[in-house]
Amino acid sequence: MWKTVRRAARATAYLAGAAAMAFGTWLFITVLLIAAFGTLAVAGAWLTPEAVLLLRRIAGAKRNMTAAWTGVKIPEVYRPFTGTMRERLVSALRDPGTRTDLRWMAAYWLYGAMFALAVPLWLAGLVIDGVWCGLLRREAVVLPLIVRLADLDADWSTALLKPSPQVQLTARVEELAATRADAIAAHGAELRRIERDLHDGAQARLVALSMRLGLAKRAYGQDPELALKLLNEAQEQAEKALTELRQVVRGIHPPVLSDRGLAGAVRALAAGSGLDVVVDDGGLDEGVRAPAAVETAAYFVVAESLTNAAKYSGVSQAEVHLARVRRGLRVRVKDEGGGGADESSGSGLLGMRRRVAALDGIMEVSSPAGGPTVIEVELPCVW
Amino acid sequence: MRVVIAEDNALLREGLVLLMTSAGHEVVAVAGSGPEIMPALLKHRPDAAVLDVRMPPGFRDEGLRAALEARREIPGLPVLVLSQYVEESYATELLGGGAGGIGYLLKDRVGRVDEFLDALDRVAKGGTAIDPEVVAELLTRRRDSPLDSLTPREREVLKLMAEGHDNATIARTLVVTERAVHKHIGNVFQKLGLPPSDSGHRRVLAVLAYLAHTGRP
Repeated sequence: MWKTVRRAARATAYLAGAAAMAFGTWLFITVLLIAAFGTLAVAGAWLTPEAVLLLRRIAGAKRNMTAAWTGVKIPEVYRPFTGTMRERLVSALRDPGTRTDLRWMAAYWLYGAMFALAVPLWLAGLVIDGVWCGLLRREAVVLPLIVRLADLDADWSTALLKPSPQVQLTARVEELAATRADAIAAHGAELRRIERDLHDGAQARLVALSMRLGLAKRAYGQDPELALKLLNEAQEQAEKALTELRQVVRGIHPPVLSDRGLAGAVRALAAGSGLDVVVDDGGLDEGVRAPAAVETAAYFVVAESLTNAAKYSGVSQAEVHLARVRRGLRVRVKDEGGGGADESSGSGLLGMRRRVAALDGIMEVSSPAGGPTVIEVELPCVW
Repeated sequence: MRVVIAEDNALLREGLVLLMTSAGHEVVAVAGSGPEIMPALLKHRPDAAVLDVRMPPGFRDEGLRAALEARREIPGLPVLVLSQYVEESYATELLGGGAGGIGYLLKDRVGRVDEFLDALDRVAKGGTAIDPEVVAELLTRRRDSPLDSLTPREREVLKLMAEGHDNATIARTLVVTERAVHKHIGNVFQKLGLPPSDSGHRRVLAVLAYLAHTGRP
């Protein structure tokens, strides 16, 4: 019973907001109608873009309210206004979002009054459900109707405020084009980095090694001691070249990922990080594995985050959570350090973000001054 | 001889200095980045400059551009350009000036110390040293050309000529007499329709120009 009452109370709060908004929209439309005729005659068109912006804000608020009730985000797609007065006016009127918002507002204006039903429902509910549940030990029947009422509004609002499939598709294509360009840029930068690493590292070492061998050969006859010294140096160079090649290979695709899978690789990272890391692998050890690109990106997110934590956070504890979610893989790294991670200061965060965006993933960084720092990444993939 | 070295990688820089001093040369200046090269050359006027192609700050072809500039500013300055990979167009650009005293070698060659020092000597004396790989690339690319009429031995002679070796070295390398080399060279020039040429830098230019510009598929 109390649960029902609480839920009904929440629904009422929601409906109260909705009713307030309905009243607001009613006012808005009324004022709009007056203003439309007024401004057409007086001020011409310059108020229109401002009115559309206000419309967007109201619709945006309703989207947020509805999303808070249903837990499902309603996508918002608007075109920005730029340019001259005339261009702003044209884009304000042409934006399909304007039509969607106006349609919703008109509908809302008509059905908004029904939220007032919540008031008699409460009164009836307290009496009927009081008897029903309190005396007869039956399920409440009236109070849940208030919840249904809120659901109904949320359903309608979602349907009305959702951008048309065509608009959504256009937005999606734009997003894909942008992430694709990012992916290509990231890939290019990656190739250049690898080339540089090889050029400055292993390749230079091998030349130096060959040079030492050449000199050793020359010295062999006259000065065997010098020759031996040069040979020793040559061997050192060979060993260093191997180390550097290993690092380059690691940067391309960490071999430990192939050997141990993501969970094992992350545990290896944790063990080598110098921090006391709690790893929750979310059961990733068993069953199917994520695609290699997703695993590699997740691995680098964890590696980079732990490196940052060890370097900047000033604490010795961190947590890593891996989880399989409906749409892909979630990685969460948290440290209880001082926070204040800054993306613009050339930390690895930007590189991480690009790597994640290239796979169409989402990355959220929360690092308020005083901590904690939480980096959460979701990489879409099919399991 | 007095040498200026331009190489940004500390490891290789140190190696080159070691190499030069072991051969009795004096390294008068070492440049670690592109903009340092010209002032060092102007100040020291060395007998030869050994330049790396890729240098800071841009890590592109700073060394090569410095080499071209140095050749303009200090005519006749022998320049040996080292590169981590072979790019035929770099060789063509370097030889474009027409004067001798130019070398273009893969960095790998420094391991063959004697050959490398020999190439440096050749360049310092106004000769030419072109990396075998550049020449090989030029040779393998041709099809349907008069090159096909050369005997294998004549091809070898052509290759060594293009790399910048003189008759004596070619004879030593192929273990034949200088007279035989002279005869082969005559045949090569005749078959390719080139005017007879002496054994200096002009001959190298003629041969490379032939390889680069005629008989392209």
